[in-house]
Amino acid sequence: MNAGPSTRVAVTGLGIISAIGESVPEFKEGLFNGKCGIGPISLFDTKGFMTQSAAQVKNRNLKALSGSLGIRRISRCDLLGLIAAREALSDSGLDFDNCDRNDIGVVLGGGAGGMLSWEKYRRALWSKKARPRPSLLLSSASCTLTDLIASRYRLTGSRATIVTACSSSATSIGFASDLIRSGAHEIVITGGSESLSELTFAGFNALRVVDPEYCRPFDKNRRGLSLGEGAAILVLEDYEKAKKKGATIYAEVLGYATNSDAFHMTSPDPEAMGMSRVMVKALERARVAANQVDYINAHGTATRANDQLETKAIKKVFGEKNAGDLAISSTKSMVGHCLGAGGAIEAVATILALREQVAPPTIHLDEPDPDCDLDYVPLQARPRKIRIALSNSFAFGGNNTSLVFGRGQV
Amino acid sequence: MNDIVFTGIGVISSLGIGQEVFLANLRKAKSGIKRITSFDTSSLGSNIAGWIEDFDPRQFMSPGIYRRMGRISRMAVAASIEAVNDSDLILDTLDRERIAVIMGTAYGSSSHVEEFYLSLLENGPRGAQPFLFPETVPNAPASHIAMFHGITGPNTTFCQNEISAENAILYARGLLLQNIVDVVLVGGADELSPVLFMCYDALGALNRIKVEADQPVKPEPGRGLVLGEGAGILIMERRDFAVKRGARIYGTLISGILTGGVTSTGHYEIEGDQMGRAMSLAMEQAGVDPDTIEQIHVSANFSGELDRMEYDRLERAFGVNTASLRVIPLKYLTGDFGGVGTTRAAAILLSLHYQLPLPTVGAEMLKARPQHSLEWEICPGRKLQFALMTTSTFGGGSTGLVFARN
Repeated sequence: MNAGPSTRVAVTGLGIISAIGESVPEFKEGLFNGKCGIGPISLFDTKGFMTQSAAQVKNRNLKALSGSLGIRRISRCDLLGLIAAREALSDSGLDFDNCDRNDIGVVLGGGAGGMLSWEKYRRALWSKKARPRPSLLLSSASCTLTDLIASRYRLTGSRATIVTACSSSATSIGFASDLIRSGAHEIVITGGSESLSELTFAGFNALRVVDPEYCRPFDKNRRGLSLGEGAAILVLEDYEKAKKKGATIYAEVLGYATNSDAFHMTSPDPEAMGMSRVMVKALERARVAANQVDYINAHGTATRANDQLETKAIKKVFGEKNAGDLAISSTKSMVGHCLGAGGAIEAVATILALREQVAPPTIHLDEPDPDCDLDYVPLQARPRKIRIALSNSFAFGGNNTSLVFGRGQV
Repeated sequence: MNDIVFTGIGVISSLGIGQEVFLANLRKAKSGIKRITSFDTSSLGSNIAGWIEDFDPRQFMSPGIYRRMGRISRMAVAASIEAVNDSDLILDTLDRERIAVIMGTAYGSSSHVEEFYLSLLENGPRGAQPFLFPETVPNAPASHIAMFHGITGPNTTFCQNEISAENAILYARGLLLQNIVDVVLVGGADELSPVLFMCYDALGALNRIKVEADQPVKPEPGRGLVLGEGAGILIMERRDFAVKRGARIYGTLISGILTGGVTSTGHYEIEGDQMGRAMSLAMEQAGVDPDTIEQIHVSANFSGELDRMEYDRLERAFGVNTASLRVIPLKYLTGDFGGVGTTRAAAILLSLHYQLPLPTVGAEMLKARPQHSLEWEICPGRKLQFALMTTSTFGGGSTGLVFARN
């Protein structure tokens, strides 16, 4: 195949399930209306933790949905992922009977995967009250969803799962775009899924980085993050081929970058070098000047450290004046921090922002922190011209990723 | 096109700590699979694995540095130290943003997952140990490598079961070919933990052998996989960069193919088409005929499902001379783990560079008929020029990589 740096990458299908919407149209409505998906968790007992809240997917019919997928005994994470994949693939209009399935790759970002199922198994063993089903262990690997989607739709191209905590699915979108640019594939299915689990919930509580009520990114009174769950799947295609066949082009993946703080497993570099350099590198690879960017979907976890340092990083990259002209929002204020799926869910939010030319809000931002003195689109969505957008993901271990998106066909 | 070459190797393996001991033991077909004594297996159906009993992180770094790392990270960092030293890279003279760390692991630190979750179960929310939690993420080893060496370039971790390290190699190749970085520390690692062993046992996946002390350990081909652990780190560069700095080049990656087959969860690809496609396309992309491949490194791991399918596909890829075909199932000596791909690649590169053939078994062994017993043999004579490394994993993924002598 003859692709190269000039090969463009289009987003031609979207699918999502989250605490603020269980399809793209629902998610879009929730996103631009500032819907809060954070509330009490019903999945497991949260007594004794700092918080009892998270952005849990509320559809009480998830079990019935698994029936409609024709799969029994599936982990919650994989179920969310398959629901999103079904929507994305349908949305893309791909006709698999007329595709070379060897030319379709599946590259996802993973997180804890089937951890919730593993916990059921482990707790049963520990309590010795019941003999647990070994099949609960089958979906333990983070790549189970990648394999499930590929097998379900018989997609036999490249197969990979990236697990870098909070930047997993953002990096997977970047790698998927690489596979198209390099000519390895014409089409790649990408994105990620994450379900709430006791382990991750307990972990963030133990680190004392959670807000007891709901997260307030960039707010003076912020106390930490709110976890979330969900899945987002994107279909990426060679731009010119997608255009030629009349596919809907939601957005263009212009480029991305990843790097490492090389500083600490959980605390970001206090000089924000990693955060700022990854945005610089992403813009360089996308061949985009900083002053062409109009919107940033921030990592915006609402921890004291992240929000202040992300502000510092954005100013380093764009300069104080130009940074002040940007619209920046943390959609984690609505959907929570979806860890391995976060990058993909926020990519969908960014793509919808580009498509609708509306910056999503940062809700709960009642009193901006003076140290976070950029325009974080407080409380209400705002129409504005968005030519190019960035989406940031800064993960445990200092694994940073920044994606650059451009407008699709109007 | 600028070749992708390998200039440094670091190995922590059940066959030995360090590349020299690893190669020496490998050449003797010494098995690293032994009776487990590091944890209690009395209630389980197996008690053997390719575990490492003599790894001491103090040989590589101070306790203050490795104190908070899980075992997998300690092994990964140790292997990276050997690899960097072996490559003669002077990191202080390089742009650290143009060095990447790309890792592959199936599970990361499963021992930390277990320990943290148990601390929650036993002590409740307030008793969950916070310092354990950050090590539960699979990208912890890659992050620790970056922190140890001060490397700030791209940093990614792949988790695709038994092709995790191969994914990392192919992604690293992409970074180099795109000129995003000049050097990649590419690796694979996994640890053998009691909980991981217990889970595989519960799923009925293990070779069901229990041995007493001093009994010979002879896993039965086709009767279930044998787990292992370890870390392998390779230094990858573009040829021009390596040559300019006068690096020793172990070998070249001349092709790499990634495919994925259809299957159900927990099983290998149903018919092996994609495994075969990865093998054939890798040789085609490399421009080498099957009969010029002197070394065939297979991913056979004692499980009947994989081993038999691999034999079948080799038969198709290599034609009618399969009866005389000899292969190198390294996992028969080290055990199987998600990150073993770079250890296997290390074996290939050392063999090619030093022109030391590795022990092989007849491909018929992969058919796993009960009467087979493993007989390793070094076949001397031929100049070693090309090696094919084929890997397939449960879940369906497959890779084919072809390496060449420099």
